[in-house]
Amino acid sequence: MSDQVEIEAKDLSFYYAGTIHSLKQVNLSAHKMAVTALIGPSGCGKTTLLRCFNRMHDLYPKNRYEGQIIFEGKDVLSSDVDVIKLRSKIGMVFQKPTPFPMTIFDNIAYGLKLKGITNRSELSEKVEKALKNAALWDEAKDKLNVSAYDLSGGQQQRLVIARALAVEPHVLLFDEPTSALDPISTSKIEELIVQLKNNVTIIIVTHNMQQAARISDWTGFMMLGELIEFDRTDKMFTAPSEKLTEDYITGRFG
Amino acid sequence: MPIISKKNSVDSIFSLITGVASSVVVVLIIGILVVLLRESSLAISRFGVIHFLLSTDWNPVKESFGAASTIFGTFVTTSLALLIAIPLALGIAIFVTEIAPDFMKGPIGIAIELLAAIPSIIYGMWGLFTLAPIMSKYIEPALQKTVGALPLIGILFSGTPMGIDILTASVILSIMIIPFTASISRDSFNLTPSVVKESAYAIGATKWEVVKNVVLPYSKLGVYGGVALSLGRALGETMAVAFVLGNNHQITTSLFDAAATITVTLANEFTEADKDLYLSSLFYLALVLFIISFIVLAIAKFFLLKAERRYSR
Repeated sequence: MSDQVEIEAKDLSFYYAGTIHSLKQVNLSAHKMAVTALIGPSGCGKTTLLRCFNRMHDLYPKNRYEGQIIFEGKDVLSSDVDVIKLRSKIGMVFQKPTPFPMTIFDNIAYGLKLKGITNRSELSEKVEKALKNAALWDEAKDKLNVSAYDLSGGQQQRLVIARALAVEPHVLLFDEPTSALDPISTSKIEELIVQLKNNVTIIIVTHNMQQAARISDWTGFMMLGELIEFDRTDKMFTAPSEKLTEDYITGRFG
Repeated sequence: MPIISKKNSVDSIFSLITGVASSVVVVLIIGILVVLLRESSLAISRFGVIHFLLSTDWNPVKESFGAASTIFGTFVTTSLALLIAIPLALGIAIFVTEIAPDFMKGPIGIAIELLAAIPSIIYGMWGLFTLAPIMSKYIEPALQKTVGALPLIGILFSGTPMGIDILTASVILSIMIIPFTASISRDSFNLTPSVVKESAYAIGATKWEVVKNVVLPYSKLGVYGGVALSLGRALGETMAVAFVLGNNHQITTSLFDAAATITVTLANEFTEADKDLYLSSLFYLALVLFIISFIVLAIAKFFLLKAERRYSR
């Protein structure tokens, strides 16, 4: 864990389709080589916040950001940012596994090809490395040329993580990555996330407070679009400063 | 147990009714095939199969009939129409699903469906009175000056541009099948889960890359279906083509020549068929179209099944 900040939201507000005020003045710093977890009841804005970091909201019309997100010394929300490049530096893994309709190899090579890598041996090398980093190599090495749909749900999720890792992002965003998985696949993904933080800054949205406690170094608790509290995970779960946080963590609501 | 036996009898009546309804389809197909075979038997015994299929001779006076020129006309107009229609239809579908702002999606969708609802005779009239003059005055001379000057493919654009020819018929046909391909493609594009599209965007794909690598492969099946349906429609289309194709039984290398398709020949000549052999030959022609359509459908089904198996999970 280091104290260097990788990406930082400053007074970040967000409005869906122009009107609904979904994030209110959020200030949050994700530290390098650390896992930052976002928890809170459904509809609190944690996924909305996550999707600000790689400007996923741009895909739908009339969404509006206010404030700043500082990454590599620049505001990623400013209009002159190349969103395509930004997204190759800030990867994302979704709730449900989202393999593309192609082979395992091509799934992982996809992002690399988008970056202009066409050399076959370089591709193979990077695909192997990504699969190893995602702890999928042993299971997948003999079937790189079969459809990604032939993998199990947990394997597909690790494939998607490998695909995101292949382009060597600086930040990886996880949106409830284990909510569609069984307990064994879930623990594999959790182990993986803890390992990955040595190479990439991780922000994870989770419904599961135990998961946040197990794998994260920092935790943010959100409610109704506001970041109520943000602190080191061990402190948040033992001695939260806010009454609301304590009520949520102890299961009094949510 | 009276309740159970009653339920069973209701069920058996129900399955009887639905079974009869379904078997009507099979009976109809066999019935049509039998009629075609019986009516064409005279021509079959006279010309045989190979000779009828390969002969370009269509001479009612000498009573010598061959299907080659109409098979040629059918295939050339159909494939040219598909060649024109598929890129346009895919473009429309991509624009409507992925690119157009919300307020445009509805009106374009309705326009596509309206295009599909126009009766083909109206396309034929429009083709004859509007499109044909435009083709002969502007488009065909322009084509002749540009691609017509190229070696090899130049031959496709030789001759006098009359406007009543293979090219005009193909353009009309393509306009007619665009709505089918476009609306079925659009529906299958819409089935691509948005989260899969998002994850392609999330690793830095552009809109075009998402369409090319995610949306198109995902919806292949539906697009094939749309193309197969269009192909079926184009093969069988009669009225729109009859007006602008010229009905000339010949195999030609120029798209500016008149030709005849099987359907157009049938529509035009049944009233003139005064002799038994002539009439029987027309039935023979219908039989050929029946078999061609059957084969085309079988090939389309084969590809659909193959694609389905590949992406079934």
